[in-house]
Amino acid sequence: MPHSLPSSPKSAPRAGRNGITKFTNCRILRGNSLVNEDLWVDSATGKIIPSQAAFYDDLILPDDVINLGGRILSPGLIECQLNGAFGFNFSTLLEPATYAKKIREVNRQLATTGVTSYMPTITSQRSEIYKSALPHLGPSGEYQLAEDGAESVGAHVEGPFLNPTKNGIHNVDVLRQAESFEDLEDCYGADNLRNEDGYRPAAVKMITAAPELGQMTALVPELTRRGIVYSIGHSEATYEEASEAVGAGATMITHLFNAMRPLHHRNPGIFGVLGIAESLPRPWFGIIADGEHLHPTTIKIAFNAHPDGFILVTDAMHLVGLPDGTYAWTNGDCTSGIVKKGPKLILEGSDRIAGSSITLIECVNNFLNWTGASIPQALNAVTSTPAAMLGLQGVKGCLREGADADLVVFSENVNLHGRSELVIDEVWKFGTKIFSR
Amino acid sequence: MRLIIRDDAGTASSYVANYIIDRIRHFNPTPSHPFVLGLPTGSSPLGVYRILVEKYKAGLISFENVVTFNMDEYVGIPRDHPESYHSFMWKHFFSHVNVNPNNVHILNGNAPNLEAECVEYENKIKRAGGIDLFLGGIGEDGHIAFNEPGSSLASRTRVKTLAYDTILANSRFFGNDVEKVPKMALTVGVQTVLEAREVVVIILGARKSLALQRCIEQGVNHMWTLSSLQLHPHPMIVCDEDATLELQVKTVKYFKSIEKVARDQGFEQILPSSIRTGPAPAPIPKTVVDEVQSPTILAPQPMTSRLLRATPATEYPVRSVSPDLIPDRMADRVGVPDLARRLTPQPEHQQQRLASVGA
Repeated sequence: MPHSLPSSPKSAPRAGRNGITKFTNCRILRGNSLVNEDLWVDSATGKIIPSQAAFYDDLILPDDVINLGGRILSPGLIECQLNGAFGFNFSTLLEPATYAKKIREVNRQLATTGVTSYMPTITSQRSEIYKSALPHLGPSGEYQLAEDGAESVGAHVEGPFLNPTKNGIHNVDVLRQAESFEDLEDCYGADNLRNEDGYRPAAVKMITAAPELGQMTALVPELTRRGIVYSIGHSEATYEEASEAVGAGATMITHLFNAMRPLHHRNPGIFGVLGIAESLPRPWFGIIADGEHLHPTTIKIAFNAHPDGFILVTDAMHLVGLPDGTYAWTNGDCTSGIVKKGPKLILEGSDRIAGSSITLIECVNNFLNWTGASIPQALNAVTSTPAAMLGLQGVKGCLREGADADLVVFSENVNLHGRSELVIDEVWKFGTKIFSR
Repeated sequence: MRLIIRDDAGTASSYVANYIIDRIRHFNPTPSHPFVLGLPTGSSPLGVYRILVEKYKAGLISFENVVTFNMDEYVGIPRDHPESYHSFMWKHFFSHVNVNPNNVHILNGNAPNLEAECVEYENKIKRAGGIDLFLGGIGEDGHIAFNEPGSSLASRTRVKTLAYDTILANSRFFGNDVEKVPKMALTVGVQTVLEAREVVVIILGARKSLALQRCIEQGVNHMWTLSSLQLHPHPMIVCDEDATLELQVKTVKYFKSIEKVARDQGFEQILPSSIRTGPAPAPIPKTVVDEVQSPTILAPQPMTSRLLRATPATEYPVRSVSPDLIPDRMADRVGVPDLARRLTPQPEHQQQRLASVGA
C-alpha cells in the first residue's frame, strides 16, 4: 500500500509554526452518528493526530483553532467510478505530458466538489489507450501534496471483458473475452497489473468484467492476490454465476441494477447475491443516485438489503461541470454525440443513458431526500464504505487518529420537505485547506 | 474555615468556577509570575470545569499563564487509557482551554521509579513557587486526593494503595470488573495540599454529607483526612444543600449567616494581599561581605516561616482600619506652665490658666 510507506511532507509549515490545526465546535462523523468532538490535524504529515498524546508528549498547541459553529466535519468523499470531469475524458489517447497535465487540472478541480480520493475509470477501449493512460492513473498516495487536490487511489477499468448484450454505451467492437491471465495483461499492459517490487502498487485497482464470459471467474483469485478488486458488471450472469464469482473473490458489483439482468423471482440474478443465501460474504455495490439510472425506491431497496455494502457512485462523464449542449464523444474509433441537459446525458439519436453528469454530493443529497436515511448513513456511503471496499480502512474515509486528514466541512440546510441537504463549505486535503465556498 | 452553601450542584459549581476566575484575574498572572492552580478529578469538579471552559470560550478568562498541578493518577494503566486522570483532564478541561502544555503537571503513574517521580513532583511544586489555589473534591470517606482514611496528615506526594471501598467505587469506570481497577495510585499528600496558599473544596450530594459533617463539626482526624483543612489558614468548602444533610441545623444557619453578613459588609474570602497576588518575585541576591568580627555564636533562625511560606503566621489580612491609639502624656495636652510662673503662684494667674484649658 502506498499509505503505509513513510511519505514526504505534505506541506511545509511557515517558520515558527507547527502546521497543526484544531477543529472545534463541530459534529464529526463517527460510525453511524455525528458526535461533538474536537479533531486535530497535522498539515506536515497530512494525518489526523492523537490530540492527547500531542499535548502531553510533544507539548504542542495547535497553530489554528477553527470553530466550525456546529457544522458537520466529514472525511473527504471517495468516488469509485468517474469517467472524466471538467471536460477531460480519462479514456483519451494523448501525449503523455499533455495527459499528465490534464489529470493535474482535473485533480485540482475535482477537489472543489468534495471528492478528495477517486478511481479514474476507463471504459471499454482498445488496448493502446489502456497502455498509454493507465500509467498516469495509478495511486499517487505518497507523492501527493495537499495543493494537488484529489488523489487517485488506483484506476478502475470498466471493460472491455464485458457481455456485448449489456454493453450500455460501451463500443461493442472492442469488447473481448479472457481465457487466461495473459489476455488481461495483453489488454491492460502487464506493468499496470503488477505490484512492482512490492513498492509501487499496481495502477489498476479495480476491474469490472462479466464473470460468465470466457474464464473470467477462474481469473478472479489471481486478481485479488495482486490486490485488485474484481467487480461484477455489464453482465448477463445468473444468480448461480454471480454466486460463483463471489465465491471466487468478487467483492464488488458495478452500478447495481444497471447493465445486468433485472431481479426475476425465478432467478434473482446478480442482485440475488445480496441475500445471505450461499453463506458467502456479501459484496459491496455501486449505486448511481442521479434520478435517471434508478428509481428512488429501487435505491431504497438496495440500501435496506445490505446497508454496509452500499456505495454511491456518479459514473459521471467528462461533461460534469460543463454547460448544457451537444458534445462530441470519441468512443474508441467512432465519434458520436452526447446531449447534456442538466444532469441528464443521452446518446444522440437514441434514448440510451450515456453515464451521468452529476457530482457525488448531489448523489448524497438525492439519497438523503429519497430514502430518509440519516446523514451519517449517507456520508458513510461515500466515505467509510468505499474505503473498506478498497482496503483503505483507517487511512481514508474515516476520522480516526492516523488516518489521512482529508476533510469536508458541510453546512446542513433543511429543504422544503423537511429533509436535510448538505452544502460543501470547505475542503481540506492532508490537513491543508484547499477550497472554501 | 468558610463554608459556602448553595441550593444545588449547579450553583455551587458556578460559585467555585467564578471564584477561581476572579482569583486568577485579580492575580494578573504573567509568564514570569504565573498563577499556580491545583486540580482534582472525579465527578464533583465536572461542573466547575464545564463552567471554566464556557467562560474561557466566552473570552472572560485566559489560562495562558496558569500552571496546573493535578492531585493524583493511577499506577499501571496506560496514560491514554480512557479512565486515566490524564485522559480525564484532557477530555474535560485541557483540550478546551489555552493551557500551555509546558505548564501542565500530572503525576506519571508509569514512571520507572515511582518514588523518584513523587519526590520530583514536590520539587516541581516548589520550583513553581508553591500552589496558589488548590481545588479539591472528597470521597465518601472524606479522603482528599487519594489520601484515604488513616493517611498521615503530614504526608507528602507518594505511592498509595487504594482502599477496597475506593476500588469498588471506581470499578464502575472499568466495566464493573474489580480486577481491572488499578490498585495503586500516586497522590499528593495531605501536607502538600495544606501548603497551598488557599484550598477550595467542592462537596456535592447526599452521599458526601457524613464526610462533610465530620470535617466541619468534629475535630481534626486522620480517619477523615479532609478535616485537616481546619489547620489551614485559608480554607473554603463549597457545597450544595444535599451535602449538608448530616450537619446540625445550627451549623448550616451559622455559616449561612456569616456569609450573609460578610456579603453585606462587602467582603468575601479574606486573603492577605500577598496571597491574592502571589509571592513577590525573588529579590536579586546581594553579595554580603561578612565582617571580620562576626559573632562566634550564630543566632538560631526560625525555620518554620520559610518552610511554611504558604501559611505565614506573622501576616494578617488587612481589614478596614479604625484610628489607632497613640499614647501621649497628659502634660502634653494641658501644656507645661512656665517655670517662673509656677515658682510664683498667684491665684489670679491660676484662675486664668484653668479657664484657658477649658477645664
